[in-house]
Amino acid sequence: MEKYEKLEKVGEGTYGKVYKAKDKVTGQLVALKKTRLEMDEEGVPPTALREVSLLQMLSQSLYVVRLLSVEHVDANSPNSNLDDSNPSKRNHNNNKSNLYLVFEYLDTDLKKFIDSHRKGANPRPLSPSLIQSFLFQLCKGVAHCHSHGVLHRDLKPQNLLLDQEKGILKIADLGLGRAFTVPLKSYTHEIVTLWYRAPEVLLGSTHYSTGVDMWSVGCIFAEMSRRQALFPGDSEFQQLLHIFRLLGTPTEEQWPGVTALRDWHVYPRWEPQNLSRAVPSLVPEGVDLLSKMLKYDPAERISAKAAMEHPYFDSLDKSQF
Amino acid sequence: MAANFWTSSHYKQLFDQEEVDVVHPLDKEKGITLEDFKLIKMHMANYIGKLAQQVKVRQRVVATAVAYMRRVYTRKSMSEYDPRLVAPTCLYLASKAEESTVQARLLPFFIKKLYSDDKYRYEIKEILEMEMKILEALNYYLVVFHPYRSLPQFLQDAGINDITMIQLTWGLVNDTYRMDLILIHPPHLIALACIYIASAYREKDTTAWFEELRVDMNVVKNISMEILDFYESHRLITDEKVTAAFNKLKP
Repeated sequence: MEKYEKLEKVGEGTYGKVYKAKDKVTGQLVALKKTRLEMDEEGVPPTALREVSLLQMLSQSLYVVRLLSVEHVDANSPNSNLDDSNPSKRNHNNNKSNLYLVFEYLDTDLKKFIDSHRKGANPRPLSPSLIQSFLFQLCKGVAHCHSHGVLHRDLKPQNLLLDQEKGILKIADLGLGRAFTVPLKSYTHEIVTLWYRAPEVLLGSTHYSTGVDMWSVGCIFAEMSRRQALFPGDSEFQQLLHIFRLLGTPTEEQWPGVTALRDWHVYPRWEPQNLSRAVPSLVPEGVDLLSKMLKYDPAERISAKAAMEHPYFDSLDKSQF
Repeated sequence: MAANFWTSSHYKQLFDQEEVDVVHPLDKEKGITLEDFKLIKMHMANYIGKLAQQVKVRQRVVATAVAYMRRVYTRKSMSEYDPRLVAPTCLYLASKAEESTVQARLLPFFIKKLYSDDKYRYEIKEILEMEMKILEALNYYLVVFHPYRSLPQFLQDAGINDITMIQLTWGLVNDTYRMDLILIHPPHLIALACIYIASAYREKDTTAWFEELRVDMNVVKNISMEILDFYESHRLITDEKVTAAFNKLKP
């Protein structure tokens, strides 16, 4: 780890701190993500092993942020200069060690990018061709993950990193951890946003699949067009109401089995609104694709692969991707 | 764990034969020849298999463990990474990666049962320390694809349903792990080579079926030749030769 100079803390990811750092020799900027390993008498936890190896495999795609290397730092070793833990505490930390995931560094993310178009000196819409290009790259990255049997589960604008110069979008924060549950609170106690969460997850379904990511993709698509979140709920209940008010309260006909889900209650009956009014600047093909991403029944929701073939992308030069 | 070989790290990590057949300078200094190197890896693959029978894990875990062990020695020396520690640690690591975790404490127990020789004796602590070193040597690439996955479909498609023929093919695939094939060739081609040998041996005509496959038959035939060469030379291997090779590794 000595080869990196830590520059600043750039975030508290869901699973640990993230630092911006520089390779002392090459000057290359990297993002260091610290993951705690809870070592016990069984060595490296199998969950951590599988996650890192999946990440290692998935990051071969251009549309997934590149994992450059993995570094193990023993909390007791003298070269753990990146661990800012109190030295006097170290003796009690015999089993604590950290994995540092070294990622390529990208200077901005889609959230900051959208924010910069909404407020600040020069508010303006995102250009339609940029939205189209970003969405296509997002679908491509998600299709790549899904083809390897990996769900992201926490897609949101903050997790989509941008190379502004090249116009490239990359998926980051690939569900490192907790394989089958969507975290409500991260270990840093930062509240995980609910805005992109699929209705089946909000309703307590335990058997969700690739559809959860496609719902998030839909929300992100709408947000690029609107420059504000489509469903900005602040609790799970509010989140559902936001969704129901726009798309109508789901029925058994639309979504077989919905009323049997664990957290289903009797909700007010809203009628579906015209989706195009929520995204007024989006072309009709875009609204059609969005409506397929926001289907209530997860089985009916469009897949990432099928989305890439949707007429909305007909005017896009796909050969560049 | 992963669905697609062609986009996997395994595919991107395939080696050339020449890269695999490099004896590490530190081992060379001790007089280890390429033949010794292969012999020790073969012996350790057998060891992993025996230990796996004791701790009761699936053949796929054995195959993954052997692949790890062989990958480690494309980068590390046997002088620094004692094969007798690397082998059980690879089995331990593979059991985690393949989701059938073996308790660490079982390993020293069964190692002792298998080998009375002190040189094989390692404790839990040493295995756990080696685990981290192996992870680093493997650069955390833990996903390995095996010929076993495509074998049943191939056999069915080729119309091979004779149980002895299926067993023969399966046994051939198991034996390929005594060589470095898994580091060098895509696993489905290894599976095809095993079917090719089995059909020649049992005089079952699969020529038409192979012709319809869109694969490079030259590669399949070359792999088959390597396997047959291995069986040929295997007859000449004696315990004394293995022991002699290990003795060279002594500090």
